[in-house]
Amino acid sequence: MSLVLENGFFLLKGAYYTLLITIVSILFGLIIGVVVALARLKGNAPLRWLARTYVSIIRGTPTLVQIIIVYYGLVDYGITLGPLTAAYVALSINVGAYLSETVRGAILSIPRGQTEAAYATGMTPWQTYRRIVLPQAARVAIAPMGNTFIGMLKETSLVSVITVTELLRSAQLLIAQYYVNMPFYLGIAVMYWVMSTVFAAILEAIEKRLSRAY
Amino acid sequence: MIQTIGLSKAFHGAEVLKNINLQVAKSEIVVLLGPSGSGKSTLLRCLNGLEEPTGGAVELNGIRVDAAMKVREKRSRYREIRKHTGMVFQQFNLYPHKTALENVIEALLTVKKMPKHQAVQIGERLLERVGLAGKKDAYPSRLSGGQQQRVAIARALAMEPDIMLFDEPTSALDPELVGEVLDVMRELAKEGMTMMVVTHEMKFARQVANRIVFMDEGTIVEEAPPEAFFREPATERAKKFLNQLSDH
Repeated sequence: MSLVLENGFFLLKGAYYTLLITIVSILFGLIIGVVVALARLKGNAPLRWLARTYVSIIRGTPTLVQIIIVYYGLVDYGITLGPLTAAYVALSINVGAYLSETVRGAILSIPRGQTEAAYATGMTPWQTYRRIVLPQAARVAIAPMGNTFIGMLKETSLVSVITVTELLRSAQLLIAQYYVNMPFYLGIAVMYWVMSTVFAAILEAIEKRLSRAY
Repeated sequence: MIQTIGLSKAFHGAEVLKNINLQVAKSEIVVLLGPSGSGKSTLLRCLNGLEEPTGGAVELNGIRVDAAMKVREKRSRYREIRKHTGMVFQQFNLYPHKTALENVIEALLTVKKMPKHQAVQIGERLLERVGLAGKKDAYPSRLSGGQQQRVAIARALAMEPDIMLFDEPTSALDPELVGEVLDVMRELAKEGMTMMVVTHEMKFARQVANRIVFMDEGTIVEEAPPEAFFREPATERAKKFLNQLSDH
């Protein structure tokens, strides 16, 4: 146990990367998710097909395989990404697919009358989306998105295989150095749990805030 | 002011509007009557493009939408028409995430690009006009159905429309709330607003309309001043319709 505390700073640094990767991936994932959802709902036939295929591929393959393809696979085509960049890219693309499904469902749940009311006053489709549909859809989407976000926090451990020194790999490096397993593994398990709990609390606060309005 | 020329609309081959020719003059109040499924709502929705006609044309103050035009052209002309028409829906369709005032001023901010303080002034005046000055910061969920519909009327009025389209504005209301909405509509009529109203409120139709347009199976069967229509409808179908109403 004292070993864990002695190396606390090193582990905290790993936790910092875990959080950083989570947040960056969620931010880009959100953008991808909204764009892909809109493409599926409003795009022309080829665009819809493209979006559907993207979601299908991502959801139908293991996250680990996606990470490895981005880091080791792309090298064959002269695309060499640093481990951290590869992590951002792979996880953003991954979470974007899942979020697009949530966003799409949320948008579809907004009654047609809302759009019609906005159109009837002369608003453009884009204004209607931005001002009327998306804010309401955000409220519907926030709870399921929260689950995806927390899932993401834990999935970041997968990027330890491409040598990103996030929390899991930090522990593995320490284990290689000290030849003891359990204390480090238990230590990071607790750290993951604390981060997930805090994350969940923040998301709940956001959800409350969003629903307070009406 | 507004007219349809040979307007028709088909959904998947089923014709719900057939060759509708209708003119409405400025300050006229036209009430559309007819059994459900007769095409009244569809006609109203074809006027502002919530439904796109499959044949014929719609014209508002010289802005013409012809079914034969290219889709892009139709949409942009319909948007012009919408800036000059207000619509009130059966289900109110207020934006639940915006307060009463925000509902009213939304299009002023986005469509007219009006500065906020100016829009707020107009919005407050309109809410006062529908008797809801005190509710400007209330969200729709806190308002009764009648209050929500009055906010919806204020929202439609905000764009200073040339014509107001009412699609069964009281049909979703509890009976005791119908009166307050009809009162606001009566006020509008008195002020000279041009109105087209789909309704089942016969007393309102009789008192307020300048003209009754009776529809059945997608066609205009009869047009007459309300007194004549209710006293002595010219067609069998209108007679039958009125008899069925008085049966209960």
